[in-house]
Amino acid sequence: MIKKFLESIGEYFLFLKMVFRKPEKWKIFWRQLVVESDKLILSSILLVGVISLFIGGVLVIQTASNLENPIIDKMYIGYMVRESLILEFCSTMIALILAGKMGSNISSEIGSMRITEQIDAMEMMGVNSAGFLVLPKLVATTVLSPLLMLLSLALGLVGGWIVVESTYIIPPPSYITGIKAFYNGFYIFYSCFKMSLFCFMISSIAAFNGYYAKGGSLGVGQSSTRSIVITSILILLADLIVTQLMLY
Amino acid sequence: MIKVEHLYKGFDGTPVLKDISVTYEPGKCNMIIGASGSGKTVLLKNLIGLMEPDSGDIYYGDRRMSELTSREKMKLRQRIGILFQGSALFDFATVIENVMFPMEFFTDWSPAQRRERAQYCLEKVNVIGSDDKYPNELSGGMQKRVGIARAIALNPEFLFCDEPNSGLDPYTSILIDRLISDLTKEFNMTTVVNTHDMNSILEIGDKIGFIHQGTLLWQGDRHSILETDCRELRDFVCANTLARNIIEGR
Repeated sequence: MIKKFLESIGEYFLFLKMVFRKPEKWKIFWRQLVVESDKLILSSILLVGVISLFIGGVLVIQTASNLENPIIDKMYIGYMVRESLILEFCSTMIALILAGKMGSNISSEIGSMRITEQIDAMEMMGVNSAGFLVLPKLVATTVLSPLLMLLSLALGLVGGWIVVESTYIIPPPSYITGIKAFYNGFYIFYSCFKMSLFCFMISSIAAFNGYYAKGGSLGVGQSSTRSIVITSILILLADLIVTQLMLY
Repeated sequence: MIKVEHLYKGFDGTPVLKDISVTYEPGKCNMIIGASGSGKTVLLKNLIGLMEPDSGDIYYGDRRMSELTSREKMKLRQRIGILFQGSALFDFATVIENVMFPMEFFTDWSPAQRRERAQYCLEKVNVIGSDDKYPNELSGGMQKRVGIARAIALNPEFLFCDEPNSGLDPYTSILIDRLISDLTKEFNMTTVVNTHDMNSILEIGDKIGFIHQGTLLWQGDRHSILETDCRELRDFVCANTLARNIIEGR
């Protein structure tokens, strides 16, 4: 069991070595990068947007219900919602959601190419299949995912504002004051960094599981499930380590 | 020319190929035949470098495969065309993009030149008017044809076909066989076909090697196969009604 685990880690890093080989033709790489950005990042905007909008609203209600204290200024509700969104929700929670969406997409796509010999065909042509298939996905998700985080933050705050405006749970000016108070730019950097790291983990682990999928369609399904489970656990572990390293 | 010398291959201590020595010549359809599980796919995978032999040598021309650097192997692979059992067309690409795929990587041709060459290859295999279709919109026979067009796109010296007729009706099978044979002769390729289809063997088998339980038991051509004294080969051949009737003079 331990030997198998260590072997898998070794295989994963050897796989990354193949992925990061210089592309045969940069023109093909840039073209694939655009395709993958559209498929993995742009197509996630709706899901991320809808979830963020609702979570922002829910956070306002929950925070307001927990801070029904006349001594505490209502603007702190807006402040706490913003901090919750920046520090945890917009990076870690969104990454966990993307682990399901992007992870299964990448793993099943590459896995089905493996079992239908498409990857063998590429290799036999002399094409570095790992580089062609995986590198554009890794770059697209790692570089562009902070934009999803920023979008999630913006829509989360909008969601909170909609709830505030429509229910008057706190005065809207207090909410606006709160979300602007004690702004710390480093938290944005921290959250963007986490998002990039998590998305790198999602795409590389999913691609690794898909690339070595075995056993027909059942194997593809198993590799997809395995990549989501492993990635979710590793995201939480990495969250803990990165937070300790960057915030303390 | 491809030469195999004393090739052994096994898995988990079980030998799958035992002392295989054979030469595949250019301009001929060289067939590897045998029952399922006999080791012919393992031999093909060793030939194309998807598996490493345990011992023995494979020569492409005068170069020993095991001595090639990874860069030289990459170069060699560009001289090889392969038709996979399931065609292995790329799902993300249309028919014409599939055929242009190797050209994009390994030539400096302009898009117009690539398209022209791809259309020439597609015409060769008689796939016309399906340029913008995706593989899942094609029949099995059409997919095989596109697979052949992609395999010959870079004018390869070596063509490998793994069970080219599997899943095809007899009529389409014969068309695919003739296509492989015609292209082999036209471009003087060294073609190696892995099959257990007796119709194919009798139709295009210029040189035939029969593998039984990992051993190359018999070599000959499509004429001598019907007169063989090899009992295992006769059993294999006579499992096909047409061949049995020919042998029995009916």
